[in-house]
Amino acid sequence: MEQLFLCYIFKGLSESQFQLLSEITKEEHIPKGEVLIREDQKAEALFILKEGKVELLTSVNDSFELPIAILRNPGDCVGMSSFVAPYKYSLSARCVKDAQILIIKQTALEKLMQKDHKLGCIMMKNIAQHLLARLKETRQEMRIHFKTFFQSMHP
Amino acid sequence: MSQKTEISLEKQGDIMVFDIQKDVTALSDAIFSKAYQDADNQGTKKILLKFYEDAYINSGGIAILIQLLAKTRKNNQSICIVGLSEHFKKIFNMVGITKFAKIYTTMDDAMDDLAG
Repeated sequence: MEQLFLCYIFKGLSESQFQLLSEITKEEHIPKGEVLIREDQKAEALFILKEGKVELLTSVNDSFELPIAILRNPGDCVGMSSFVAPYKYSLSARCVKDAQILIIKQTALEKLMQKDHKLGCIMMKNIAQHLLARLKETRQEMRIHFKTFFQSMHP
Repeated sequence: MSQKTEISLEKQGDIMVFDIQKDVTALSDAIFSKAYQDADNQGTKKILLKFYEDAYINSGGIAILIQLLAKTRKNNQSICIVGLSEHFKKIFNMVGITKFAKIYTTMDDAMDDLAG
């Protein structure tokens, strides 16, 4: 379960906290093509990549999914919506290569965070830092769209 | 999660090849702008975007490529794309990129088309 050490959400946890985490972590094989999570579904777990590849997507319409990111390094994860209300996945994830995935159920992690507030605090700080970086990237994407739009309006 | 984009420019005859390694995201904007500016400053009229099978292009990366296509169109430059996986060929087709840039499977086909 050393991939847990590589996941940004758990950066800064102690050996004993990792031990507690590994006790509530399960490993599953997910075949290529299988959908791990679906956008807007109830978020019940965090998924950490051990090996393989998982693509993150958001639906534009019924026939088109926009690529958001790819999980390909051990420790890459998806499912942080399971920590934050309204507990619904904000995107879909599909295995694009057979994968070994570590799964932590939200209920088990919530219990652990209630028992060890320091663990919860460290995790939430890591998540906030990651979300800020994502927000910055999304703003940059908006800037690019606006630049293209303005250039097309004022050639 | 994403790997920082690397672009090297290589002139082959009158064609400027953008050798694009790793992922293309919104954070690749500056490196793409610089590469295009360098190519444009050299009077380039034909551009080939060369990707690798393992490259990942997300929604921000698609926005950058659309921006680049708009610039090449404005400056009367021809542009082709090569090296995309089937997955991204399908996505580029759906977002309309293929209306402005032809996609090829092999370098030879792309070079032949641009040379012609």
